Amino acid sequence: MSETPRQIALREWDDAYERLRAAGVPQPAYGGPLGRHVAEGDTRLRKLRFDNSLAALRLWDFLLTEEDRLQLARDAGKKLVGTMKDLGTVPVMASSLDNLVAFYPDGAWWIPCVMEVNSGLLQIADSLGIDESFCPVRAMLGAFVTGAHFPIPDLLTCSVGATCDDFSAIAQRLNGLGYPILWWEIPHRRVPEDNEGGVQLPGGFRAPASLVRFVRSELERIRLALEKLSGRVIDEGTLSRGIAKANHIRRLLAELRQAAFTATPCPIPALEMLIAEMLAIHFCSDQEETIAVLQDLLDEVNRRVAAGTGYGTADTARMFWVDPVADLQVMNLLEDCGGRICGTEYLFAHALDPIPTDVPPMEALARMALADPMVGSATDRAARIKAEIRRFGAEAVIVSRIPGASHCALEGEIIGEIVRAECGLPVLEIEVPPLTDAVSPSLRTRLEALVETVVNRRSR
Amino acid sequence: MKTIVYTCPYVPAEWIAAHGLQPRRLIPRPVEGTATIPQIEGLCPYARAFANDVAASEDVDGVVVTTMCDQMRRIFDLLVRRINVPVFLLNVPSTWQTVTARQLYLGELERFGRFLVRLGGCAPDREKLTQEIRRYSVNKELTDLYPALYPSQLPPGPLSWVWQQTFQSMGGGSERDLEGTRRVPIGVIGGPLMERDQVLFRVILECGGQIAFDGTETGDRTIRSLDDRYLSSDPLVNLARAYFHIPDPSRRPNSEFYQWLREKLASHSARGLVLHHYVWCDKWHAEFERIKEWIKLPMLRLDSEGRGEMDSPRVRNRIHAFMEALR
Ligand code: SF4
Ligand code: SF4
Repeated sequence: MSETPRQIALREWDDAYERLRAAGVPQPAYGGPLGRHVAEGDTRLRKLRFDNSLAALRLWDFLLTEEDRLQLARDAGKKLVGTMKDLGTVPVMASSLDNLVAFYPDGAWWIPCVMEVNSGLLQIADSLGIDESFCPVRAMLGAFVTGAHFPIPDLLTCSVGATCDDFSAIAQRLNGLGYPILWWEIPHRRVPEDNEGGVQLPGGFRAPASLVRFVRSELERIRLALEKLSGRVIDEGTLSRGIAKANHIRRLLAELRQAAFTATPCPIPALEMLIAEMLAIHFCSDQEETIAVLQDLLDEVNRRVAAGTGYGTADTARMFWVDPVADLQVMNLLEDCGGRICGTEYLFAHALDPIPTDVPPMEALARMALADPMVGSATDRAARIKAEIRRFGAEAVIVSRIPGASHCALEGEIIGEIVRAECGLPVLEIEVPPLTDAVSPSLRTRLEALVETVVNRRSR
Repeated sequence: MKTIVYTCPYVPAEWIAAHGLQPRRLIPRPVEGTATIPQIEGLCPYARAFANDVAASEDVDGVVVTTMCDQMRRIFDLLVRRINVPVFLLNVPSTWQTVTARQLYLGELERFGRFLVRLGGCAPDREKLTQEIRRYSVNKELTDLYPALYPSQLPPGPLSWVWQQTFQSMGGGSERDLEGTRRVPIGVIGGPLMERDQVLFRVILECGGQIAFDGTETGDRTIRSLDDRYLSSDPLVNLARAYFHIPDPSRRPNSEFYQWLREKLASHSARGLVLHHYVWCDKWHAEFERIKEWIKLPMLRLDSEGRGEMDSPRVRNRIHAFMEALR
């Protein structure tokens, strides 16, 4: 379906799907009308608008069928590893063995949005004392208790230390409910002091060699646990192959980001790009298929760029987006307001950088883990954001606060202060709850005002 | 003598003093006038008050903040940008069951020592550190007399904590209150208390309670007493070992905290627990239900926004009702 790019509603997609099926267009095994997910409770889909490419359909189907994949993997005798918080490191290790499947229980973060708070997960979290003063990841607790959104993993790992208090507290609550957790420490990243050996990390930061060694020893504990679970050895060759696959995904994403954030008109909407970026951290429980899905999307984007088709015009305001949105619909809203995404920092920038291949694999993974934006200072985050703003030519920055998130209170303040002072760009801080329907008019007004500011600044 | 300010219990005052510098555990007070950090939704009032008090203090030569919580990590980022005093971030691991985590903490204390030397301190020899550890231990014994009322790691010298008087004047040590009614032994747990919120202990006493033990961040939960046995070998290693095992809900897993609580409840026959925490303090907030399920004793949760609510009629009424129910 190489039609003019446009965003379509769910119903339209389902009609189109029927036509495609009738025409014999091949579909992946997990394919089907998107509307079936609404019947399973993903009611937010009815309010979203989707890109009309086949590649986007495959992306959505892939995302929304992860639970089935996990169940199939378990049925096939594979072991499931619930990797919590580290966003991008442990899945690379687990995926290097073909009898292990890693996934992020943290993904429950989006369930309150996707199921429009009808899943009952937040009520369960409330009853366990984890109320709305915590970020939406508290839905994960309910998902464990009900066992209805993902199979209970055979091994649970969780990175703690320089992570967010929300997750650490919620994971501890989970542990207190009787779920064993292998805790591993990710220390705060700092710059090497004088006379202290330093190591270059992916993404450009430096860290003391001693800190990298420490993280490496923590990851060795994870490696042992994975080996025990799988009954196989994760040797350097196996890990290197796992890293090569992860890097393949990261390369595809890098190309996608480059095209999506720089081409005019914009070849792919913000919502699909958000989903695509997320694949880099968890591979949606299938690395090979992730590669195929992203390749498809990249091919579509490249076709559109070559044909000069896409969304918006050269006048569309170019926004840099900081932090993921708890309500996916806000990505649609930005475009409705006359904006487009030109750069993102969704808290997992380290999962997009290539993993070094010129050092032993465990060393490479330790370096990557330490490059996590969450474990460094807000000033580091701002530095990376500044570099990306310049790279993609963003004209304004939107920091979307996550309700209840411990890091959001001050991070936005620091990032805003630095970006305003050093890039001279307007910064808008908004809070995006899992369902924005009630605040949508005010969000719209604020986004429109920002777009207007951007346009006015051009004429100055 | 230069003053080094901190608030986290994982900062050993002895280590600062051994460098010839004055440690000051800052229990924040409200800052008048323009604040360095404005009120922000989601920001822990204690973390904010600490930063603002530090920024408003003129007699501070260095500040040390720890990674014990995410909020304080970000406070460090802001202090570095907004004040002209050197600030140090001490990495306190969340995990504690591995040798490498313990070594990381020890390494951090050594790095902290180098920071103190840069500020004009003298790298201590073994004898100096041992001497300071002993000096602080003596003072800690004194504070044991009034466990509920003293912040840990008071600087050596005469004890001047205002609540000493309050405690004595109210017969806090006796089993009966001023009207002769038997007091209800209560354990108090929670995070740190700002200066004006320390009134909580007084209110509990006035409502007929008796502080069975103080498990707040400035109470005996965090007081480390090193006896001479531990000083015979490397005193810094032993100091690090003692501080590293302060039982706190922020550790992963936090079983040491529960073990500490179990022992306290058993040895002090507390009939109920009061938990105080500031809003947006995830680590204490998340623990309330679990503690409640676990101790099977009545529990009262008091959360505050740092506006002096502990002295409010509402809180007093709640504590009163709690005591009544326990009588
Ligand atoms: S949104 Fe923020 S606070 Fe919540 S789990 Fe993610 S990093 Fe932690
Ligand atoms: S009260 Fe809680 S959130 Fe606030 S500084 Fe202390 S540990 Fe951090």
